[in-house]
Amino acid sequence: MTGGHVSGAGSTRRPRRAMAGLSLLLALACLASLLLGAGDVGPMRALHALLGQGDPEAQFVLASLRLPRTVVGLVVGVALGVAGSLLQAVTRNPLAEPGLLGVSAGAAFAVAVALVLGATATTLRVGVAQLGAMAGCLCVLGVARVSGAGHDPVRLVLAGAALTGLLLSLTSLLLLFDQRAADEIRFWVVGSLAGRRLDHLQAILPSLLLAGVIVLAVARPLAALALGERIASGLGHHPGVIRLLVIVAVALLVGAATATAGPIAFVGLVVPFAARALAGPDIRRTLWLCLPLGPLMVVTADIVSRLLVAPSELPLGVLTALCGAPVLVAVVRARRMPTL
Amino acid sequence: MGSAHYRGRATGRMKLAGVLLGIMLPMTAWAERTLETAFGEVAVPDSPTRVVTLYEGALDTALAVDMAPLGAVTTRGGDGVADYLTPRFDDIAIVGVVREINLEAVLALEPDLILAPPRLPEAQYRLLSRMAPTVVPLTQGFDPDAWRDEALLFGRALNREAEAQAALARVDARLAELADRHADEAPSAVLVRWMPQGPMVMSERLFSTGLLRDAGMSLHDADLVEEGRPHSDTLSLENLSRIDADWLFLATLNEEGRDALDAAQASPAFARLDVVARDQVVPVDGQLWTSASGPLAALAILDELDEALSAQ
Repeated sequence: MTGGHVSGAGSTRRPRRAMAGLSLLLALACLASLLLGAGDVGPMRALHALLGQGDPEAQFVLASLRLPRTVVGLVVGVALGVAGSLLQAVTRNPLAEPGLLGVSAGAAFAVAVALVLGATATTLRVGVAQLGAMAGCLCVLGVARVSGAGHDPVRLVLAGAALTGLLLSLTSLLLLFDQRAADEIRFWVVGSLAGRRLDHLQAILPSLLLAGVIVLAVARPLAALALGERIASGLGHHPGVIRLLVIVAVALLVGAATATAGPIAFVGLVVPFAARALAGPDIRRTLWLCLPLGPLMVVTADIVSRLLVAPSELPLGVLTALCGAPVLVAVVRARRMPTL
Repeated sequence: MGSAHYRGRATGRMKLAGVLLGIMLPMTAWAERTLETAFGEVAVPDSPTRVVTLYEGALDTALAVDMAPLGAVTTRGGDGVADYLTPRFDDIAIVGVVREINLEAVLALEPDLILAPPRLPEAQYRLLSRMAPTVVPLTQGFDPDAWRDEALLFGRALNREAEAQAALARVDARLAELADRHADEAPSAVLVRWMPQGPMVMSERLFSTGLLRDAGMSLHDADLVEEGRPHSDTLSLENLSRIDADWLFLATLNEEGRDALDAAQASPAFARLDVVARDQVVPVDGQLWTSASGPLAALAILDELDEALSAQ
């Protein structure tokens, strides 16, 4: 990697040390996620259960409630962080985020429609959510390619906010019209990790693996694309094909995450933002950093969601929005909007 | 102030006229009655024929006293009147949802009496009362017994107070009969709505939970519902044991309550509850248990309770 205009001083920082530090933090967050909760099983009892000698109640809470939601949080965090990073690279827009641009809302709306039509199977849900995410992605790209909009990050976000608003209100409309599905749909308006089980993950594993393969294949061409279409073509890549592959990967990832945990906004914005701050703009480095950063944000937010209003819980989507919105404002208000 | 003044003068004049007419024309057809409502005294026609109910409790009471309204609002989360009432009338025009009344649809029905929900916003009251006398109950806050006063008020408004009292008496008889079954110790009970991420515990001060209490059950909300709220936030699954009780009523807006029960039972935390092991979880109709009120709703709820208790 010899420096083009995108790889400036940032790439000379130490992503490796950042990676080690983040992995350590993530491990601590996972431990905290097992030890802390809204219930009576406090950290000491949980620690005993973790070492295999706790009371049955503590062991149940750890093994059947906290462990599954931690693992689901890890997977959802990776998927959303990577999806955000990819979407930002392909739209060349630092504000591109699946939740902000209507991709998550598309997935949630598709699931709500499927529920109203009578679908109950969890396996079906994943495919439907991914199709909805795909439709959301295509809308976003359509807007991005409208002359001028693609170069103005804020305008793209505005279009995405409009799309999200439209899809959310359509989802609420379904709530009004179909009482049978109403309680189920309510879950698809704000995301949560509570009550998720490990078998929910089995349904999404194949598509996550497929998305992983695609990401590995497009990382290098995507970095070339960041230098400009002509340079990428000159290096033997096909920008159209790369974009399409990235969109497929984003749809697979966001659809899988949404099908498991509902729409969770802002993770795809904050995580790549932090990754770029640590490792510079090269997509091949930020993608790696998204692996610990995404789960770190989701798992931490989930822990806070359990503790703030115990014995009840807050929806996770509310908390990620609370951390994410200030980052959005900071990026937009920065005098020189970073371009990708 | 102006309207109160006007009303006072009008009633004064009417009383005088009433006295004179009472002396001179004992057979007169012209007679109006006045009711005490949340917006002061309201004069209502002697025998209303074109009634619109903007509140599920009012519709319930009207049907209980054999008066079929022309228009009504939908049940919560539904697009029509609650299922338990549908066999009791032929045709009712839907004039909106309780929070969003379609005023034009109300006007189109040319009502001569409007029965409205408690806490009707004053701006809406002003518009509605220009269409027809509008009766708003005095109920404040969450009061599990308010439905009785409301039923009597609506019964009086329809000039069928005796029928309303009879409907209440039927409910009381049913309550006493159910309460007799467990004379020694009141079984504990909790009403929840099940969501995928955990249950929401319903207040013990709702219409349905108040009825269960009167039927001799010991209702509790696990100290989770704040004053003035209809239900708690989503309870963490880690704390699910708090809703353990002799009976657990699982309200759902799903028509197939079994689906909700299956969904709940798929959750390992739910399957561990004692009440689940004893098979005393009862899926109930959310339209009826968390949205409706009135004497017919009371009887329908008590029927569901009876069925659950008898199955044991």
